[in-house]
Amino acid sequence: MQSSISFILDGKITSIDFGKAPEIKPTTTILNYLRSLPTHKGTKEGCAEGDCGACTVVVGELGLDNRINYKSVDSCLVFLPMLHGKHLITVENLKTPSHELHPVQQTMVETSGSQCGYCTPGFIMSLFSLYKNKNKPSREEIDDALTGNLCRCTGYRPIIEAAAKSCVHDRLDDFSNLEPITRNLLQSIPKESLRIHTPQQLYLRPASLGEAITLKHQHPDAILVCGATDVALRVTKQHELLKEIIDLSDVSELKQITESDAELRIGAGAFLSDIMPVVLKPFPALHDMLAVFGSQQIRNLATLGGNLDTASPIGDTLPVLIAYNARVILEGVNGRREFPVEDFITGYRTTRRKADEIITTIVLPKLDGRSWVKAYKVSKRKDLDIATLSGCFRLELDNHSAVKMITLAYGGMAERVKRATKTEQFLLGNPWNREAIENAMPLIDSDFTPISDVRGGAEFRRVAAKNLLLKFWSETNGQS
Amino acid sequence: MGNPKNNIPHESAALHVSGEAVYVDDILVNEQLLVGRVVYSPHAHARIKSFDLSEAKKVPGVYAVLSYKDIPGHNQMGPVVKDEPCLVENEVNCVGQVVFLIAAETEEQCLEAERKIKAGYEALDPILTIEKAIEKNSLMGPPLKIERGDVNTSLKKAPHLIKGELRTGAQEHWYLESQVSLCIPGEGREMYVYSSTQHPSETQALIAELLGIGKHEVVVEVRRMGGAFGGKETQANHTACWTALLCWATKHPVKIRLFRDDDQIMTGKRHRFLSRYEVGFDDEGHLHVANFELNSDGGCATDLSFAIMQRAMLHVDNAYYVPNLRVVGRVWKTNLPSNTAFRGFGGPQGMALIENVIDRIARLLRKDAAEIRFKNFYGLESNNVTHYGETVENNRLFMIYDQLMKSSEYEKRRNAVNEFNAQNEFFKKGLAITPVKFGISFTTSYLNQAGALVLVYKDGTVLVNHGGTEMGQGLHTKIQQIAAAEFGVSLHRVKVNATNTAVVPNTSATAASAGADLNGMAVKNAIDILKGRIAEAFAHIWTEKYSNTPRQKDGGQASLQHSIMFESDEIYDRDHPDRCIGFAEAIPLLHLRQVPLSAAGFYRTPNIGWDKEKGFGKPFYYYAFGMAITEVLLDVLTGQHTILRTDILHDVGDSLNPNIDIGQVEGGYIQGVGWCTTEEIKWDDKGNLLTHSPDTYKIPSVQDIPKDFRVKLLEGVPNPNTIRQSKAVAEPPLMLSLSCWLAIKDAISAVANREFEPEFSLPATNEVIVLSIEKLKRKIAEKAKLEFIEQ
Repeated sequence: MQSSISFILDGKITSIDFGKAPEIKPTTTILNYLRSLPTHKGTKEGCAEGDCGACTVVVGELGLDNRINYKSVDSCLVFLPMLHGKHLITVENLKTPSHELHPVQQTMVETSGSQCGYCTPGFIMSLFSLYKNKNKPSREEIDDALTGNLCRCTGYRPIIEAAAKSCVHDRLDDFSNLEPITRNLLQSIPKESLRIHTPQQLYLRPASLGEAITLKHQHPDAILVCGATDVALRVTKQHELLKEIIDLSDVSELKQITESDAELRIGAGAFLSDIMPVVLKPFPALHDMLAVFGSQQIRNLATLGGNLDTASPIGDTLPVLIAYNARVILEGVNGRREFPVEDFITGYRTTRRKADEIITTIVLPKLDGRSWVKAYKVSKRKDLDIATLSGCFRLELDNHSAVKMITLAYGGMAERVKRATKTEQFLLGNPWNREAIENAMPLIDSDFTPISDVRGGAEFRRVAAKNLLLKFWSETNGQS
Repeated sequence: MGNPKNNIPHESAALHVSGEAVYVDDILVNEQLLVGRVVYSPHAHARIKSFDLSEAKKVPGVYAVLSYKDIPGHNQMGPVVKDEPCLVENEVNCVGQVVFLIAAETEEQCLEAERKIKAGYEALDPILTIEKAIEKNSLMGPPLKIERGDVNTSLKKAPHLIKGELRTGAQEHWYLESQVSLCIPGEGREMYVYSSTQHPSETQALIAELLGIGKHEVVVEVRRMGGAFGGKETQANHTACWTALLCWATKHPVKIRLFRDDDQIMTGKRHRFLSRYEVGFDDEGHLHVANFELNSDGGCATDLSFAIMQRAMLHVDNAYYVPNLRVVGRVWKTNLPSNTAFRGFGGPQGMALIENVIDRIARLLRKDAAEIRFKNFYGLESNNVTHYGETVENNRLFMIYDQLMKSSEYEKRRNAVNEFNAQNEFFKKGLAITPVKFGISFTTSYLNQAGALVLVYKDGTVLVNHGGTEMGQGLHTKIQQIAAAEFGVSLHRVKVNATNTAVVPNTSATAASAGADLNGMAVKNAIDILKGRIAEAFAHIWTEKYSNTPRQKDGGQASLQHSIMFESDEIYDRDHPDRCIGFAEAIPLLHLRQVPLSAAGFYRTPNIGWDKEKGFGKPFYYYAFGMAITEVLLDVLTGQHTILRTDILHDVGDSLNPNIDIGQVEGGYIQGVGWCTTEEIKWDDKGNLLTHSPDTYKIPSVQDIPKDFRVKLLEGVPNPNTIRQSKAVAEPPLMLSLSCWLAIKDAISAVANREFEPEFSLPATNEVIVLSIEKLKRKIAEKAKLEFIEQ
């Protein structure tokens, strides 16, 4: 057990002993830490909630293949201990020792990619991450890499151009040359669990599932975090002092993804960005939903376990998991429990997880090939927005093209993610045609009584929820 | 013209990309820097009954907790009308109005002190909508009116008459850098202020008045802003005033940087408008008469609301000649933060109204809206005088229209869109062209002035000071280019200094798109003065040296001042090309000869004048023109739209820097697209802002820009009598986005085969779109039913 953390910054190991640095808390974000240093003012705060990307930094981490993976993250959402054993790269680190600009920087200058310049360091870091991960990226890959960065001046076109023109050197740069040194430095940091105890806070970062379960038993009130994309807002926006935290981001068991013929098992702590390629083929609707889930910086931190445990009424992935009949596995000192996702969610932000349990795995049974599953998200802005309402629908037809099985799971229509059971009942056995759909659409009103809130009015939700049904029909009709 | 030589990157680009560019929040302070915090009203309208700060002051680390009682000078920070207290005394008039200030060593201590402030409020009935303000007759001031022709008679005679109303929404600036200020106390009563402000002179003036000291004791400096867009024209003053007051009280450096949510809650937005129209036209779609009524939500204080309303009234014609036109503008006072300048400054609200009217006329006459627009453009020879009496000179509308319709293949794509719409039920396409004619000049005419101070150092480097501020628009880059070109020296010799009130006094705000026009001319004026002195000196030097030596092959004539040229880092005599000296070599010689090497420059825009009372005159020095054609794909069932393609042709005269100007056009268009589509501001029934962070307030992301984005500058159109024949850019392109808004309306309308006028407002969110389509579907069903009964 260690009470101090170590990471690489500016090419050397930086250690923070929380006992000796009272101005730094275990819940201090990377952003606030960087801005407290006189030499790292380049990283900017735009919103302190992960919506603008001005604070984007890149975190380098040793992968299983001993290569260094580079990931962009919103530094306003990451607590310092999560950096332990990693390489923190900020905009100041990109120039070469002889003060030459990195290709992504040089190209941004040439394309007029900066105007006021305040968002620019964040964009540079997203571009750097793209540079290190994709050679000659497509327009879609560029857009995806930049969705988490807002710019109010340029209209983005020159930044897209900079991405296309700079990411052409097969990921090679000064960082590639220094990789052996960086690897040695990273390996020199002892990988142990952390126990940071300050007069006000207890921050625990177990290194194994067994340890995590024991700690959760000992500290049932501790807040669980993995990427902290949701919990961090309580610190940055509500100024809450989180007393006990169990950080699961170092528990490798929770990151495992295993696939068999029958099912896909996803560790509750696997990052969404790691899940996406795995679900693309077997669970395309989940992939579609993840593609519009936050931004790359968010998906590099967020997890399915976190999304499930939050149990938001909108739920992002929850309607999809319900449509796919996914199950949740919980573990505690008293053993293991398993629930269908639909039963796991019990109400407005409540679940069946007991205080001493941890979500460990999400199990997705594979489809037999005769089902259609489609996910829809209706949000004011297409990307990096929380849905006003969402739906994930699953359909199976019998030999006479009548509905044999249907799941209509909606988010944003009730206090929790819920199925439109009356509409489902009506459609069962009916032919899958326009007439049946139009007769079914009014039943949505008997399934849901949506509310009006900041994201949309009740009337809009009612109409759009019905329209999604029609959309599902129009997209599956041709195939039936 | 797109002179490639002008295409240099932003002067700070290399600093932007490396994180080295210094913003106010990044300035290192070597003494105990205190954190300043504002404590604001949680009520939209309330009387302050009592307050007690004693417990708050006891929190360890707290240096000051201030109320209005601690203000040494005037408790005012209204820019035009003195109706904005720095700290509220009796009555709060919006949520977010500041009542107390705290300075402490850490933010946590500030928060702790804030929790210990005891304040008793008696809630009063707030006015939160324009409708309620109208009902309560809560006018901010007398209505404004501009009228030409006989509107009442023309309305009666018009072959067709339409009436209606349009709502356009508020818009949050969402500059990436929130409001911020750092004040450092100097000796005696001196105060050094780093502020992210578009208007350093006003910031300086208000601080001096607040503290009861002279303006000569306050220095305001602005290196750069992290975006502003009008949001820092008057309202940056507030944060600077609060910071200065805390600095004054504690004698310590103090910084206030508003937290994003607080910034959104506290600061004003683009004015929302409720506009009404009656418009008469003929079978061909020629406009005969328009009667417009504009109502804006001014918020709780005057700010720039009347100037904004006036600009809306001056742009309600947009590019169209309306022989009989009356426009009445009323600013309404509500219990919301005072609304303020935002790129376009009322222009977008005025233009949205007439563009929507034309769109409706086209639908009624079953003609393409492009045709109706073209028919009503201001003429080149006749029909070229606006409703306020200014002649539209150097009209580029026809030139732009012809070029853009052709290059965008409008006709062909219009047919393709119609065909697509006939074949698809759940997806519709929409296409629209909209023009922009935007008047350049402050409509408060005296503001059209600028100063500069140009310094030449002995090593031949040039430091340019001017009154404009850099907020990302590339003003300093353009000024650097102007100075280098006027002096005939390389760019590397010229540096533009941070804007500083101790160097150039009494400046106007960097606003109204006029930054380069005004300051560029002032810098040119200073350089002309310097060049005159230098030329005079070298005329002497060379005459002394050469004219009495008869062996000279040129006959030993005198050098004349007017033949001395400045080019390619050299000073030479045009008539005697061998009389030549490098710029850097020349300057030390001049210093030895006691030639003054600094000069102040000044510029005032000539030949403009405007009678606000009569609504008549020439408010604008010239007009900027542009046009955009936008094509959208609309998902009828979800209201989600994609911009498939946008073609823009915009007039900036001879571009000072094509890259920067195209950046302004693209950025302005996208910012306008945000206003037109996803940027929706909502308050609850208590006056609390619901959309107070980017979680709920959605500006365009990289995914929202046109899939195919073609932006060009109009070529071969030098603008007479402006700095290097250029035109202002900044604001006008924002309004090109109305083409996106009306393309969406076109797509909605296609659901009902353009037979009915869709319900429409701005922003056209997915909610507005889906509900509008739902109503169209009902109309179609009703019509089908009626036809069935008739049969």
